[in-house]
Amino acid sequence: MLQFLASGIAIGCVYGMIGMALAITFYVTRIINFAQGQLMMVTVMVTAELVGQGYSPWVGVAAGLAASAVVGVLSYLIAVRPILAFNRFGFGWLVSTLGFAAIVENAAAYFWGPTSIPFPTILNSTSVHFGDAAVLTGQQILAIVVALLAGVAFELVRRHTLFGKIGMATAADPEMASAFGINTKTVAMVAFAASALLAGLAGVMIGPSTFANPYLGDTFGTYGFIAMMIGGGTERPITALYGGILLGISAEGANAFVNSRASDWFPFLVLALILVVSPRGLFSSTGPLARLRPVRAGR
Amino acid sequence: MSTTVPHALDISGLSAGYGRFDVIRDIALKVGTGEAVGLLGPNGAGKTTVLRSIMGLIRQRRGSIQVAGTDVVAMPPFRIARGLAALAPEGRRLFVDQTVEDNLILGGLHLRHDTARHEALLASVYELFPVLKGYRKRLSSYLSGGEQQMVAIGRMLMSDPEIMLLDEPSVALSPVAVDIVVKALIELRRRGASLLLVEQRIDVAIRVCDRLYVMTHGEIVDEMTPEAARGAGMSLIDKYLG
Ligand SMILES: Nc1ncnc2c1ncn2[C@@H]1O[C@H](COP(=O)(O)OP(=O)(O)OP(=O)(O)O)[C@@H](O)[C@H]1O
Ligand SMILES: [Mg+2]
Repeated sequence: MLQFLASGIAIGCVYGMIGMALAITFYVTRIINFAQGQLMMVTVMVTAELVGQGYSPWVGVAAGLAASAVVGVLSYLIAVRPILAFNRFGFGWLVSTLGFAAIVENAAAYFWGPTSIPFPTILNSTSVHFGDAAVLTGQQILAIVVALLAGVAFELVRRHTLFGKIGMATAADPEMASAFGINTKTVAMVAFAASALLAGLAGVMIGPSTFANPYLGDTFGTYGFIAMMIGGGTERPITALYGGILLGISAEGANAFVNSRASDWFPFLVLALILVVSPRGLFSSTGPLARLRPVRAGR
Repeated sequence: MSTTVPHALDISGLSAGYGRFDVIRDIALKVGTGEAVGLLGPNGAGKTTVLRSIMGLIRQRRGSIQVAGTDVVAMPPFRIARGLAALAPEGRRLFVDQTVEDNLILGGLHLRHDTARHEALLASVYELFPVLKGYRKRLSSYLSGGEQQMVAIGRMLMSDPEIMLLDEPSVALSPVAVDIVVKALIELRRRGASLLLVEQRIDVAIRVCDRLYVMTHGEIVDEMTPEAARGAGMSLIDKYLG
């Protein structure tokens, strides 16, 4: 009965990580990287390929994450920076990041073909029972733990390290940041690399259930976007994680209570409803759940 | 004399603008080391554009801008900011979601590994504006306008620049706050800082500066001593500042 809650939280953490990845690049550059899902796919494909060749899963995952980080930085240098240099307030990035996504996706389909290949599990042998109510696999537990750790780590870095403060300054006023000695291009490249790593981690968590497929990025990129919008990630990246968890629960709930295909459309309904009630997201400073934010001096 | 000490700031033939038009044309302007120079002019004269050009915030600029003997025209802002020029910008533009002290720290990033110098600069800012010390951990958006201007000036000081650029620091402040800012600028001058002060308030510029330029319609049209400006009084306002 509570199974949908448990598996909803697990899958929601995966959506949330992708949402946070989107939100981190948005935070620093004010653009949405529509190739974010494809960055997740790069990790999944590279990991699956290397493990298929006989390398250990750890080597495969490390190489997969590194590949995503590289492609993420490239997405900034090729599809974002030139566009923003031309017009910082225009919408050219919409087309250019979608174009970048299409190129990465088609390149992957060319290399690996359109069919799925197996993906290694990190922790599937174990499973955890919550009484008689719910069961989660080790992989699902791992997804939850990794997502929460990533969220906490991001907030700690943002608020309590000099690099985080530099990132906040760049996010708030890039021109003044550069007038005080910050190389905003470097900051943005780090943000794109970090967000690609986060998306890649999400891929490692979900890969065993989806298998490795070049078109994986479409679905998960979309769910990540919904997670970010529900939570209020355009304001504070961590809220995308909360949004993802809500999204996961509602999608699994729809599957459990409506029918097994309801998760295809139900999340969009949820998104629309939430955006009507709270256009900037549930956990944004103007949203209904704003008070759930941990109270702390200095934001 | 075979060698000459470079000026803190030496601009010649500077034109700059936005889009297709130059809004400042053929600017020549010097600030000697340890000198405080005012740049007066009415709204839209191009004063802010001059400061932004020096800081590298305007890409479209031609001419020569030397800061302590280094030509900065081809440099990106984040390099100019590392010890050459620093700006207390129009509208203050603090990092409002960060604390007072973090704003100050962000002002002196290139010195962060030189801990002793960094600490000394921080101490000197708090000495100049003692009220800020009590607000160190407060979000800068929670300060009054005058206090925010103090943070903006403190942030500018933290990079220990060759030339300090101030864009209308008196604007929208109470008389008391203006007085605090003016006294701080006079104190900075006494400590040997080189200042370029953009102002619309002649009285403020007269109190702080050794020399004044007047700018209208993108060009420098006059240069005078503070005494001459005080003598000219209202006629100067009528003539240029309207
Ligand atoms: N970002 C911009 N894009 C286009 N034109 C601009 C921009 N900023 C300023 N201008 C124009 O350049 C001219 C000079 O502006 P500037 O801000 O340098 O004047 P100012 O002397 O600082 O005026 P004020 O005293 O009102 O601050 C004005 O005509 C203004 O409209
Ligand atoms: Mg101005």
